[in-house]
Amino acid sequence: MKLNVIRQRGLWWAISSALILAGLAAMAILWTQIQAPLRPSLDFVGGTRLQFELDCTKPNNCDQPIQTAAVRDVLDTQGLAGSTIQVLGQEQHAVTIRTTTLDVDQRSKLQSALESKIGTFDVKKTQIDTVGPTIGRQLFSSGLLSLIVSFAGIALYLTIRYQFDYAVFAIVALLHDVLITIGFFAILGLINGTEVDSLFIVALLTIVGFSVNDTVVIYDRVRETISLSPGRHINDIVDDAVNQTLTRSINTTLTVLLTLTSLFLFGGETLKNFALALIIGFTMGAYSSIFIASTLLALWRERTGNAIAPVSATPTEATVSKDSLG
Amino acid sequence: MGRQRGLLLLILALVIASIVVIVKVPTRLGLDLQGGSQLTIQVKPTEEIKKITERELEAVQKVIEGRINGLGVSEPVIQTAGEDQVLVQLPGVDNPLQAERVLGGTAQLDFRSENPTQIAFLRVRQEELQELQAKQPALEKAGDQAAIAANQAAIAAKEKQVEDAIKQVYEKTGLDGRYLKDARTELQGNVWAVGISFDQKGADLFAALTKKAAQTNTRLGIFLDDKLLSSPSVDPGQFSQTGITGGNAVITGNFTAESARELELQLRGGSLPVPIQIVENRTVGATLGQDSIRSSIIAGIGGLTLVLVFMIVYYRLPGVIAAIALVIYALLTFAAFNLLGVTLTLPGIAGFILSIGMAVDANVLIFERTREEIKAGKTLYRSVESGFFRAFSSILDSNVTTLIACAALFWLGAGLVRGFALTLALGVVISMFTAITCSRTLMLYVLSIQSLRKPELFCPNIPNKPSAEATS
Repeated sequence: MKLNVIRQRGLWWAISSALILAGLAAMAILWTQIQAPLRPSLDFVGGTRLQFELDCTKPNNCDQPIQTAAVRDVLDTQGLAGSTIQVLGQEQHAVTIRTTTLDVDQRSKLQSALESKIGTFDVKKTQIDTVGPTIGRQLFSSGLLSLIVSFAGIALYLTIRYQFDYAVFAIVALLHDVLITIGFFAILGLINGTEVDSLFIVALLTIVGFSVNDTVVIYDRVRETISLSPGRHINDIVDDAVNQTLTRSINTTLTVLLTLTSLFLFGGETLKNFALALIIGFTMGAYSSIFIASTLLALWRERTGNAIAPVSATPTEATVSKDSLG
Repeated sequence: MGRQRGLLLLILALVIASIVVIVKVPTRLGLDLQGGSQLTIQVKPTEEIKKITERELEAVQKVIEGRINGLGVSEPVIQTAGEDQVLVQLPGVDNPLQAERVLGGTAQLDFRSENPTQIAFLRVRQEELQELQAKQPALEKAGDQAAIAANQAAIAAKEKQVEDAIKQVYEKTGLDGRYLKDARTELQGNVWAVGISFDQKGADLFAALTKKAAQTNTRLGIFLDDKLLSSPSVDPGQFSQTGITGGNAVITGNFTAESARELELQLRGGSLPVPIQIVENRTVGATLGQDSIRSSIIAGIGGLTLVLVFMIVYYRLPGVIAAIALVIYALLTFAAFNLLGVTLTLPGIAGFILSIGMAVDANVLIFERTREEIKAGKTLYRSVESGFFRAFSSILDSNVTTLIACAALFWLGAGLVRGFALTLALGVVISMFTAITCSRTLMLYVLSIQSLRKPELFCPNIPNKPSAEATS
């Protein structure tokens, strides 16, 4: 199999543009609904999330599944009418409630009101998350800042190791991966009500750190091929480099996707969306390295008149094979 | 070959050492896995104290420590976070209502005077307590468990009575933390002491209080959140006429450098009018934590198995070597977590599982390169060597970029995020060793075995098979 990435570049760019546009459209629609491009969890906007499960070791405590309406009644009497309620579990013995930020007295009042109405909860299965609004903003801005810092750090490193234009297109490819992942979660937020929490920012940062790898491998090969045969056209070189590294680009992504799939399926509720974000981001990372970063570099070199690198006189390292490592 | 054998032995030693570490050193589990409560407490500036500095934060931390210790939670962690926050971790607390109640609110420091009529009462209680405590060793020697427990309960009850009696003995005077300007540890000659200074109003109140104490030969009681910190006496000969005037005083006693510092911080914390508020509460029930541990073990083993199978099926003999290197990687990394005392959180485990998938990346790069070289007609030995050599720059670059992202996460991220960054970064660094050094050593060892030196074990469909075994 040989890919003609250069000849079909119009197609690759169209696919990427369509994906990005779909995400942007979802973000725009969400913005008109909730004034945010993604559904923020309480990590970013503050609030209280309570998860209770009935204590089934007590007699007659678990006879009936929890009814959303009953929970809603209790919340209404506590003045928490706008809260979200979700009944969980196969037997419907657990419930999560998301409200505005509750202080300790409001929370204990709510809990005892719920217990008298629904049944005793198991303290060992209780989960409480309360985040003040300021902390939420703090989490959000520090997350955003670390994203920017890592972009800058990677750009700087690639500029030192390669050349400035390599770095620029690697960053473009990264933005592409991050944007599509965000767009995907905007779509999920629209149709599924999926929220993004601080782990989502962690996922984006990991995507940034990992997805650049495939790009680097291809650029490394482009550089090597240029120094081996300086007289060739950049389009040929890029095509060759992509094809020579294709298996490894696919395989390195595949091994990571295998562990992520396992995490997605078995890792529990907390890590599910985290694993999903990484699966999308890493897949896009491989795609953008193979089809976007490479073709953009070729186009740029061609347009700036650097399509054919000057022939250098010095022999290259590739002729040396006895060197060892380690 | 000598160097290779040395490396093989080193790898073997590392594997054995890491198994020992994993068995012997317990893994530190985060609160989201063992169950417990984590509270973030925000210290708020006021009119008087516009900016919270390290000095104030340290004092507030001391006050919080005092309150937490009163709750009887085992192994609480109290540390400062950022410029104006204190992080409190309460392992095993399922419902932190009590902790939240005592933690909110400003510290209450006040200076009280002793009421002589109540002292006799306190003395009796204290003697009773001492009697009970004196009985304990004899009981422990006799080994009667029921009697020991009964006596311990009696001691606890008596301690409570003593505490109540202390409260009766001391009466509030109106001199409280608001008037205390500063407290500092001082070395008086060669004795540690704590110096305190009051503002104008405080100085007057303090003079009156010490005058009364000197005249009646009673003590002062310094209380923080209703607990007695110190009960100094006032020298009657020196101060019975005027009390201690000028608003400066020195508390001496049998202080060590640490105990003086402790009192200084408690006094300073009590004098701060800064309100504190719980701004974040993350509580996970113990059963939920166990569920998380179970599901992440399944996810980890599932991920590891999938990767091992893939590598062996796709890369054949080198795949087996990569699989061995990957298992070594998992062992070394987990041992490193235990050894470095990394606290494993749920995102931390996710980072570790993710790094299993990333650790073989280097092997994929190397083996693909090796295949290319074999197809290009090189000998097996040279193909392997140049596979390792020429893949190195790609491996380095890709790992450095991942580390950059980890560093950004670590320095700017909060609690949970840091755990992920740390485990991922540690994984990347260790994978550089296992995927390169370990697998290279194993590979060269395999190549020294004649029957395994077949190119088709390394690469399927070699075009017009070159004479690979001829030279090596």
